[in-house]
Amino acid sequence: MDFLIQLFTDPVAFWNSHTLLISQIGINSILASSMFVVLYSGQLSLAAPGFMAIGAYTAVLMDLYWHTPLALNIATGTAFAGVVGVAVGLPVLRLRGVFLAIATIGFIEALSLGVILNLPITGEGLGLKNPNADPLGGINIVLVSLAAVVFLLWRLTKGRLGYAWTAIRQDELAAQSQGIDVARYKLIAFVVSALLAGFAGGAESHLNFFVDPNEYGVPRTVQVLTFAVLGGSGNVLGPVVGALFLTTLPYVFQQAGDYIGVVSGVILIAVIIFRPQGIVGRGGFAFVRPRWWPRAQVRAPSTR
Amino acid sequence: MGQQILNAIFIGSIYALFAVGYTLVFGVLDILNLAHSAVFMLGAAVTYTLVVNHGQSFWLACVLAIVAAAFMGLVIEYICLRPLRRRRAPPIAALISTIGLALIIVAAIEQGRPGTLFAWLWVDGANPVTMPPGTFPNPTWHVAGLTLEGSKLAVVPVSIALMLVLGYVMRFTQVGRGLRAVAENPRAARLMGIDVDRLISLTLVISSALGGLAGILFGVALGGISPYIGRDSVEVRGLAVIVLGGMGSIPGAVLGGYLLGFIEVLAVVLLGSNVRAGVAFAALFLMLVLRPQGLFGAQLRERI
Amino acid sequence: MRRLHLVSWLAAALVVAACGSAGGGGTGSTNSYSGKTIKLGAILSITGAGGVYGPQSRDGMMLAVDQINKAGGVNGAQISLTVSDDASLQTQSAQVAQTMIQADQDLALLGPTLSNSAVAVHPLAESLKTPILAVSTTGINIVPDCKFPNTTPCSYVFRDSLGEETAIPDNIQSYAADAHPTTAVLLVAQDDKFSSDGGLIVQNTVGKYGINLLKTIKFNKAEADLSPYVTQAVQLHPDVIFITSLGGIPANIMTEARKQGWQGQFLGGNGFNTATVSKNAGANGLGARSASAWYLGNTFPSNADFVTAFKAAYNHDPDQFAAQGYAGIKIIADAAKRANLTFSDVAGDRDKLRAAMETVNIQTPLGPFQFTSTHDVKQTVWIIKMDGQGGFTLVHQIAAS
Repeated sequence: MDFLIQLFTDPVAFWNSHTLLISQIGINSILASSMFVVLYSGQLSLAAPGFMAIGAYTAVLMDLYWHTPLALNIATGTAFAGVVGVAVGLPVLRLRGVFLAIATIGFIEALSLGVILNLPITGEGLGLKNPNADPLGGINIVLVSLAAVVFLLWRLTKGRLGYAWTAIRQDELAAQSQGIDVARYKLIAFVVSALLAGFAGGAESHLNFFVDPNEYGVPRTVQVLTFAVLGGSGNVLGPVVGALFLTTLPYVFQQAGDYIGVVSGVILIAVIIFRPQGIVGRGGFAFVRPRWWPRAQVRAPSTR
Repeated sequence: MGQQILNAIFIGSIYALFAVGYTLVFGVLDILNLAHSAVFMLGAAVTYTLVVNHGQSFWLACVLAIVAAAFMGLVIEYICLRPLRRRRAPPIAALISTIGLALIIVAAIEQGRPGTLFAWLWVDGANPVTMPPGTFPNPTWHVAGLTLEGSKLAVVPVSIALMLVLGYVMRFTQVGRGLRAVAENPRAARLMGIDVDRLISLTLVISSALGGLAGILFGVALGGISPYIGRDSVEVRGLAVIVLGGMGSIPGAVLGGYLLGFIEVLAVVLLGSNVRAGVAFAALFLMLVLRPQGLFGAQLRERI
Repeated sequence: MRRLHLVSWLAAALVVAACGSAGGGGTGSTNSYSGKTIKLGAILSITGAGGVYGPQSRDGMMLAVDQINKAGGVNGAQISLTVSDDASLQTQSAQVAQTMIQADQDLALLGPTLSNSAVAVHPLAESLKTPILAVSTTGINIVPDCKFPNTTPCSYVFRDSLGEETAIPDNIQSYAADAHPTTAVLLVAQDDKFSSDGGLIVQNTVGKYGINLLKTIKFNKAEADLSPYVTQAVQLHPDVIFITSLGGIPANIMTEARKQGWQGQFLGGNGFNTATVSKNAGANGLGARSASAWYLGNTFPSNADFVTAFKAAYNHDPDQFAAQGYAGIKIIADAAKRANLTFSDVAGDRDKLRAAMETVNIQTPLGPFQFTSTHDVKQTVWIIKMDGQGGFTLVHQIAAS
């Protein structure tokens, strides 16, 4: 309860003493947004942690070896993640649903267990020390870029691209027959998602004195998927709400003590059962849909 | 090399038994049940607790643990799946609700310490534990330079027999025909007078009982039973197995299990231990890209 | 975030009253803290990969806090210890650390349990000028070079746990002197910092003692079955198998190797030094040797008293991690006693405490305790071996060099 009390009684002190938590919420929101893009185009891709790892390692290694400025490091990491995104996206995007999900799990595990743990430059299992990290000062970068990401995605989903993605999500065959270049739009979504994840990885590495190869595996992807789906994959605010809700859950329910894991699980099930379309459904935050409001689209991405 | 082949057959049997339950649910419901690995862990944990903390005989403990696992199947159906089916939620929602249940089961076990709420279920927290020697007969023979261990050898016939029984039930009995009808088209099956909900409950009971049994065999033969054995050891590999074998195909999952066992062992022997996990997942990725229907997809087209 | 508050206000009130009448024990009225509270925070892994060690550290710390508070506190001040679980994740560790330092305004921190969290949290505490005492981490680049590869030494980071850079070479040297092994195989978990550090140290050390390292076999912690690796190791027929890994894995490897008929010697690192490993390995672990910071059977009073009190409180034997956690609280309490704290200026108090910690010289269950000039532990190393029944017996002791 201390957490909420301080939040409302002394927001300035709260802000100053929880910068790491708030930054992490921002990072998680960007990651969830990266998942949102692929879900929005009807693809269940779980590759985000792989692209994060590429963004993070690239940024930190550039800093360690070339002492280049932070913005350039993160930009290069992001771009590199995008390039790998194209290379991975081209072969896997003809897969659908669970098959795509499992192929992308294959990608992240092969990357983290096969490549990162065996490449001398990454420090292998020893991890990578990042002495120039700035855990407390990174919050502004994170929050500004989160706002930019949300705005960008909002524009994208309201434009040509967004309508093409929606069409593909609802019925790929029908979209194809309407003359939509399905393969191209899917690849665009996949690469945008890779860029966002790469950026999140680069930014996160700046908040942390240590790059740990174990952070980029399947548990991370499950976590990000949960943020995106629980928040709602129909509205750009969904992933942000999902990340905020789940990241602060352990703090809000502090009095659950040791049983916070059990409590989180119960909340997760309850929310998804009562709001299968996510907390922020297609109809925004409305819990009871007014008659005139467009019908919530529950047939989001299929797992087949 | 002989010993390595034995290693591969043993772990392949565990993978197969675990994956059969996974693939059964996917075949009937088109849903990935991510609580399956938690049920696997629960099977091993309950057996240990009954034997060591409650002084039951080993065989009774095994039976009770399988019953507990089967009961978890009903919990999965009634809490995580049926409410979502009623609301026509997308399959991805079931992914989240089963993740939630897995979270609850693992958290309950890892918080089980003397004097806590879950002490009746587990008292060792996050510690790994091993069945005390002498709990079950475990003769070991050394033949021609090979080590043959009773508890590992027993896994193979048990797994194969159960999978044959399951195959028989699916093909030649009323229940099996009903399940295949539900898998093909639930609405048509309902119109034909099949009690779809009852058959789905049955599917989850069978699947979870097999998952629990796989956990028991794993825990008994290898020791090191901890709250994390499901999540760390078999969750992702189980996915790999059902994809290798072709989603939803029971014979495919069996062959896929043994195949993965052999791939992993051969990777250690031929390519070096440090890349083993990477190799297995790279193979999974390539396999999906080149042959998305699974290795045996073409021959074993009919599902479950 | 799991929190456990350990301060009994009733006991505190009684103690304050008692102190009032006893006159503060002769340390002079300038240094009386009566009525004050010393807030400490511990970041431990209660769940996840480090969940084998964290609960032991916690129990040791709780016992020390309880004893100090019941005996009148630190110059009359009660210690309030908050233990938070970091779930063995470095990001969570860092978040918890920031909350403890900035929101809770704790005087000093203890932990975190695992090396990979420590290398994330220690530089953070350093930059916020808060003393932090590592009580279980043994990896490379913990102290003094917490900002490695930057060379400025960290001045707020201390460690009371024995580093693998001392322990593993001591262990190898003592076994080489006893049995003159010539060949070895190293089994190392490649996916965590603690194990990889240990593996690296083994590789760099064996040559000095004429041991030929036939092969280094790397594996991942999340393997279903380690048998293929063990088979590979056993088939080389080495004299020694080194194991550097966390949690229950060393026990699994020992069991499998013995089943496959291998008769040689197991040597390991800090991963061996917990009852969990010895108990899980059972008879298969008999004779496995490691260098420990602590030994249960030591009869010097500071250890005997600790063991008795721990058994009375928790109904089981302490292990090395409990002893290090217990010693950690005693070290900070001793420094706080001499630091002349103000209790009004936290930043100033943290600096005073840091300075006082450098001159700690007390008796602990680990033996006589002092920090080196680089804030690392200076203590006797105990070479122990598993007794096949879940415990350990002493083989050698090596005095601090």
